[in-house]
Amino acid sequence: MIGFIARRLLAIIPILFGVVTVTFLVMQVLPGDPVLALVGERYDEATIERLRAELGLDKPLAVRYVEYLGRAVRLDLGRSFVTGRPVTDSIAERFPRTALLAGSAMLIAVAFGVFAGALASWGAHPWAGRLLMGGTLVGVSIPVFWLGLLLIHVFALWLGVLPPSGYGGGSLRYLFLPAVTLSFASMASIARVTRSGFLDAAGEDFIRTARAKGLADGAVLGKHVLRNALIPVVTIVGTDFGSYLSGSVLTESIFGWPGLGRLIVQSILRRDFPVIQGAVLFTAVLFVVVNLIVDISYGFIDPRIRHAGGRR
Amino acid sequence: MRGRSLILGAAALAALAAAGCGGGQGDDDLHLALETEPSTLDPAYAVDYSSGLMASLIHGTLVAFEPDGSLAGDVASRWTVSADGLEYHFTITGARFSDGTSVTAPAAARSLRRLLDPRTASPRWWVLEPVSGAAAFHAGDPDAPVGIEAPDDTTLVIRLDRPASHLPSLLAMPAAGIVPARLADSLGRDYGRSPVGSGPWRLVSWAAGDQLILERNPFAARPPLVERIRLRIIPEPMTRIAEFEVGNLDLLEVPVPELDLWRSAGPELLSGLELRVAYIGLNTEKPPLDDRRVRRALNMAVDIDAIIEHVLFGSARRADGVVPPPLRRGPPPLRQYPFDPEEAASLLAEAGYPDGFEIEIWQRENPEAGRVLEAVQGYLGAVGVHARIVTREWSAFKAAVDRGTPDAFYLDWFADYPDPENFLVPLFHSANRGGGGNRSRYVSSRVDSLLDAAAALSDPDQRWVLYEQAERIVTADAPWIFLWFPVRHQVVSSRLEGYVMPVIFNGQRFTAVRLR
Repeated sequence: MIGFIARRLLAIIPILFGVVTVTFLVMQVLPGDPVLALVGERYDEATIERLRAELGLDKPLAVRYVEYLGRAVRLDLGRSFVTGRPVTDSIAERFPRTALLAGSAMLIAVAFGVFAGALASWGAHPWAGRLLMGGTLVGVSIPVFWLGLLLIHVFALWLGVLPPSGYGGGSLRYLFLPAVTLSFASMASIARVTRSGFLDAAGEDFIRTARAKGLADGAVLGKHVLRNALIPVVTIVGTDFGSYLSGSVLTESIFGWPGLGRLIVQSILRRDFPVIQGAVLFTAVLFVVVNLIVDISYGFIDPRIRHAGGRR
Repeated sequence: MRGRSLILGAAALAALAAAGCGGGQGDDDLHLALETEPSTLDPAYAVDYSSGLMASLIHGTLVAFEPDGSLAGDVASRWTVSADGLEYHFTITGARFSDGTSVTAPAAARSLRRLLDPRTASPRWWVLEPVSGAAAFHAGDPDAPVGIEAPDDTTLVIRLDRPASHLPSLLAMPAAGIVPARLADSLGRDYGRSPVGSGPWRLVSWAAGDQLILERNPFAARPPLVERIRLRIIPEPMTRIAEFEVGNLDLLEVPVPELDLWRSAGPELLSGLELRVAYIGLNTEKPPLDDRRVRRALNMAVDIDAIIEHVLFGSARRADGVVPPPLRRGPPPLRQYPFDPEEAASLLAEAGYPDGFEIEIWQRENPEAGRVLEAVQGYLGAVGVHARIVTREWSAFKAAVDRGTPDAFYLDWFADYPDPENFLVPLFHSANRGGGGNRSRYVSSRVDSLLDAAAALSDPDQRWVLYEQAERIVTADAPWIFLWFPVRHQVVSSRLEGYVMPVIFNGQRFTAVRLR
């Protein structure tokens, strides 16, 4: 296990290297000039040249690439072209807010998704299953944008119990709507997958064995069925959480949530290269770590995977 | 089990509600919203709307705009102009930065020189271009004598080589904000995050992406009546509307499609013509648009009134010229292009295009632009001109238009200051072709000489005579499809008193408003 983790962590280095290189090249090819974001509606060529020199954009590509790598290994991601702030400061300021939103959304998605999926698989009430499956189909199809505005309308304008938008220092009242909005699509997928997992597992041989041994239904469900059904759930959590952490732009825009996603999109629109590079690099690291955790947790949930490496 | 979870759910909602009021601010702060976050609060680098607005709230200028567009003294208590229009004397007394230090004439001079300094590399240095020696100094000659001097602590003298009667307006722009030059130089780019100004407000906190809090500057020339402003950054228009409706905002820009809903708001809906003109620029260097007849034909092919009525919900005034009505000093211009598709088609045939031709019209991503251009596309199609609409995001669009790549492009032009000069010179003077503002790349030596001559006059009515002639020529040459002057609508909360919609965006610094 330790060796497994260590190998995976070491693999981050070539991945990051590749990410930096690809991002660098892509931004060269993109039309649009970072300097244009800085000059406003009226400008002269001399100002463009001067700003380009100040931002270091007049140096050849290879030079800029090497300089960037050299600074990046010292964790110096440069300064924003537009604001002049160090990129690490901007990311450090925004990421915790995105993490809070992502974590809450994931928690809601897993808790309600698994519960709903389990409920839907309950043989005693098949109509519950059909209702829930219809509901999850809607849930997966609803655009985040529309759902967010709908929730604002219901809870803020109509019922008047929650604020429409904002960060509010991360307090629960402000977190609730954006977290629910973000969690919806994941919640729906998790519910569907949990239901299938429960239905499949219920028919497996080992379940019949457990029942034959005399285990109560609750123990069967909790100990055996759930663990098996969780594997695809963990997969979904891994992929979705990774994308939440890189910032869910639509949710953040609708709710005015000052997170990483909006920062990235704004930087792309303004061709703010250092921020784009730094944020993409940071996101890549996050994805690798999250995937690693997902893979490790497979080992804990499914003993077959854990022992597979050892015995052979 | 279901019943229990329903009760639990209801209890949770009740707990959330009890945790505080769901809407409405009971505090004494003015609540405003910004669509985008300012990139910097440094006047030398503030080029976008949010940055410019914030910079002007925090920094005083020698003179400042009132909401009605007139100029009043700000850092300067009064000013005089010499008879030949080449020398301006500003009297500076009693102004202080928010940290208590005095704004002296030498300090103001240093601040203005900083804007011109090539080391500052300010993209708004052109605001002081009329000043004698400014261009040479900015081009990199450190010994060039610049016509900004402070013979004593209370007098600032600005000298010009040629008269420029719009100089006071330039000095009222956010870029000319008076900063403590030594502090700004020592902080460099970081000054933009912790500015010190002599404006009505001082920055208390800036939570990135979230909100900015400003507090009243007691040392300002005219200290505000309200204690504090909270500006939240809310990118989504529907969300801003929701915040206003629950009482979390005191001022809201009403989107045009929402107008009907808000018209019945009663006396609180404010409307006014913006100093802004919308147009479809035609690249006068690209055939067939290099032919004047073709451009005139395009103008006659489009029914502007119908578009205003159906796409803009009537919220604009047709542009028969370039200068918006509030800035005109005489009667409105004659309409040169009635909606006449037959005349358009025959003009096109005369120019050698009886079967029409194909062009591309470029736009930035913008729902309203899309609807407008679809309508235009229809009208042009009726006279045989097949227009393809090309959408690009902002950065790529700007780069392409400034290089002269597209045939035609949909843009609008916002005034920096309320003067016809700000519409005619950047947009149509040949010296400003490309990035300078003249994106149609229009060249007319007659227009150039009229504009240059007007710049030398100081009487606004005399200048208007020349500007009007220039406008007539430009309209006849049709470097644009002339569209309209948009009307702006705002609503204020019931507790906000004394708010007047400003003619120019930094003319409303919230000094005269109060909360009931």
